[in-house]
Amino acid sequence: MPRQSIAVVFAGSGGSGAMSAGAVFLRAAARAGYFGMMTQLFGAQVRGGESASLVQIGVMPVEAQPDRFDAFVALDWDKVEQFAAEIPLDEASLIIADPASGAVPPGIAKSKGRVVALPMTDASESKADRALLGRRVNMFAAGCMAALCGLPVGEIEGAVDAIFGGKGADVAAANKARALSGAQAAAALGLDLKLAPPTPDQRWLISGNQAVALGALRGGVRFVGCYPITPATDLVEWLAPHLLKLGGRLVLGEDELASINLVIGASYGGVPAMTVTSGPGFSLMVESLGLAIAAEIPLVLVDVMRAGPSTGIASKTEQSDLNLAIYGAHGDAPHVVLAPLSVGDCAATAEYAVYVAEALQVPVIVLSDQALGQATTVIDPVRDRPPPQPRKIDGVDAGKPFKRYATTGDAITPMPLPGTPNREWVAEGLTHNEAGLPASGAAMHAAQIHKRARKIREFDAGERWGEVTGEGDTAILAFGSTVGPAREAARRLTEAGHSVRVIALRLISPLPVRQLAQALSGARRVVVIEQNDSGQLYRHLLGHKAVPVEAESVARPGPQPFRPSEIVNYVA
Amino acid sequence: MTDTLANPTATTPSCVFDAKDFASGAHPVWCPGCGDFGVLAALERALAKYGRPPHEVVLVSGIGCSSRLPGYMSTYGFHGVHGRALAAATGLKLARPDLEVIAVGGDGDGYSIGGNHFIHACRRNPDLLYVVMDNRVYGMTKGQPSPTTEPDWDSDIAPGGIGLRPFNPLAVAIAAGANYVARGFSGDPNGLADLIVDGLKWPGFAFIEVLSPCITFRPEQRDWKKMVRPSNISIEQDRAAATALVLADDGFSLGVLYRGDRASIAAALKPEITMGDVEREFAP
Ligand SMILES: Cc1ncc(C[n+]2csc(CCOP(=O)(O)OP(=O)(O)O)c2C)c(N)n1
Ligand code: SF4
Ligand SMILES: [Mg+2]
Repeated sequence: MPRQSIAVVFAGSGGSGAMSAGAVFLRAAARAGYFGMMTQLFGAQVRGGESASLVQIGVMPVEAQPDRFDAFVALDWDKVEQFAAEIPLDEASLIIADPASGAVPPGIAKSKGRVVALPMTDASESKADRALLGRRVNMFAAGCMAALCGLPVGEIEGAVDAIFGGKGADVAAANKARALSGAQAAAALGLDLKLAPPTPDQRWLISGNQAVALGALRGGVRFVGCYPITPATDLVEWLAPHLLKLGGRLVLGEDELASINLVIGASYGGVPAMTVTSGPGFSLMVESLGLAIAAEIPLVLVDVMRAGPSTGIASKTEQSDLNLAIYGAHGDAPHVVLAPLSVGDCAATAEYAVYVAEALQVPVIVLSDQALGQATTVIDPVRDRPPPQPRKIDGVDAGKPFKRYATTGDAITPMPLPGTPNREWVAEGLTHNEAGLPASGAAMHAAQIHKRARKIREFDAGERWGEVTGEGDTAILAFGSTVGPAREAARRLTEAGHSVRVIALRLISPLPVRQLAQALSGARRVVVIEQNDSGQLYRHLLGHKAVPVEAESVARPGPQPFRPSEIVNYVA
Repeated sequence: MTDTLANPTATTPSCVFDAKDFASGAHPVWCPGCGDFGVLAALERALAKYGRPPHEVVLVSGIGCSSRLPGYMSTYGFHGVHGRALAAATGLKLARPDLEVIAVGGDGDGYSIGGNHFIHACRRNPDLLYVVMDNRVYGMTKGQPSPTTEPDWDSDIAPGGIGLRPFNPLAVAIAAGANYVARGFSGDPNGLADLIVDGLKWPGFAFIEVLSPCITFRPEQRDWKKMVRPSNISIEQDRAAATALVLADDGFSLGVLYRGDRASIAAALKPEITMGDVEREFAP
């Protein structure tokens, strides 16, 4: 019977092109109509070190890392063994390598996977040809694996063209030639890895970071201030040229203190604005997060979480900034924290974040994570578009001074744009009176605190608070990149006769207590899953009495992704 | 790529206003006799002369006695956190080039906690004006030495003096790329108003350091009025020469000290693609 999906690793030393191999394989699959997901592992070098691309393709959408890999393709064995702990292999796995690269290292061989010899360099190639074309074993390997999975040659060529076309016709042609040689070598291996036929449709090949950027652009963000930090940098690198061509601006701040203030300044001027960072940068931004809350200036702050604390592990994932996102600012500082439910949902959640920020005149934090941000997926185009909620800018002419921070009536008060006659007001980070002038009396302090609290309390996310899948007795609660594995685990558990539902939280703060109560109704067991050691989500939920005290916490640090089997084993 | 303007020329708006059109009427918290009153008066006069209406002007500040100034003017205002005024002002100006953006603050706000932003504002050279009320002390926190304080000034927190050579903001500004650098004195609001108008008109980042006495914590600064004099530093100088001249000056020369011909940070582009174009890129 043809398989529904396959999980393949391409690994090799610096310069072997493991990333390009994965990219060609995934794109060829996407063009052929399959879904898929690719993540990447890197060695410690700043540039050009050993790396591995982990690719899953299949007939159904892929939302979680696989429990095990079907094939491990070694482009060479140089330093590749260090990835062994992060790439689960077993006896049924194939270890595909060129015998000329030497013996399979013990860390990989101990899986007892079956070793398949695949000569990847072309012996007949003249020295001159090789100098011209390079060995390009990565293209050979990608072509071979793609053919083994039954991907059409035309789509393999198309994928190579799409990826290398920009580098010149001769580079693309050389890569194509090697990929085709690889495809031709597949038949002789005598392996059956054919996938079941796909259901081709219009698809997107997109990473979580790109999806956040897309959502922000859709939401109208036209100003970005940021400072580079892994794993958020590729988000802004993708965003920058698009933003500029759309007439927007990206300003590279001198640090994150500047970045968030650049954004606050732009937003005060009426342009929807966003900053993008990861934990260490987020820590610096907390200073002016409070300013944006006090002065009621909208902004979107995207935190692509990585392992912390301090500089942590720059390139690897964790969900441990939740406390900072919810409680970071000093003083009573109500704001909104959202988390995307999947790579595709990064677009919808980021767009929604812009609308909520603009509507409530408040900072909205989007908690993405490295596992979502740097996963490249093949998905159905994201058609989920939250309805826009523009900023309230026109104020009645209430005489002078204009009461920007009026405390009676609607908690959301008009915020006229500078340039509007007779509405001059001062955005104020000090406790202020209704006209925006500093005030330190107890009554006005309380009135302004309550005004801002009321905006958040009265905010109703409606259907967008989160998503419930299934109706079982056991409720698994998750956010961000743990949602995918939780859903996959629930699918398997349900198949095995368990009764499971997954509650995926998009609105982390303010906690949608009412909707959660409804989502949890009838549940006999509640399991909160998150990727940090201290159970930050669990404590947040308990603190709001949003889950029963008997709720169980499954909290462990990153950077290893949750695999569905880990969740299945816990729940079953 | 050159960042030099072919013909740096001043722009001149033209409505007619009175200084009091720019006063908010709020009562300043400043100590009677504080130099910042003179700076406020100079700004009101300068804006009246400059001719843009209050609603097209935004004053942006950080934290300190001096940073309270935006609340005392009838323009739009932004009173942010300590040290970050220039970052917020830059974001605002780049997002809204149609507005007249003026950042104001103190020596602590601008040179210590905001020092990094000061350097990078000069380097980016956005078309805005930055007025620093330098009293060589942290006034608001009641008298600690700032980056411009004399090394032997005695205070509770640094008995006998801080013992450090003061920072020279004007030389730093010129070296870092500010396009217009001047020194004014709060005791001469008319002279200061002229410098402000000049700075508003000059393209790029205009920085005016204002000697503005803190009569409460530095009463000896009352003597500044006897020490200031018009500058004899020629502004027909290149950046290196101007930096050297400003470094050699005793800090009491008033007037324009440097004027450059650097182009400001580039303007945003006209939109040339649509969201549809962006989304099509995701096709495999
Ligand atoms: C982050 C932060 N640190 C410290 C302070 C306390 N603080 C308020 S104003 C100020 C110094 C102000 O000095 P300066 O900018 O020279 O203004 P002046 O009061 O002299 O006009 C300090 C340290 C603060 N508000 N915020
Ligand atoms: S303490 Fe000094 S700087 Fe502050 S208001 Fe009083 S005189 Fe002015
Ligand atoms: Mg001072």
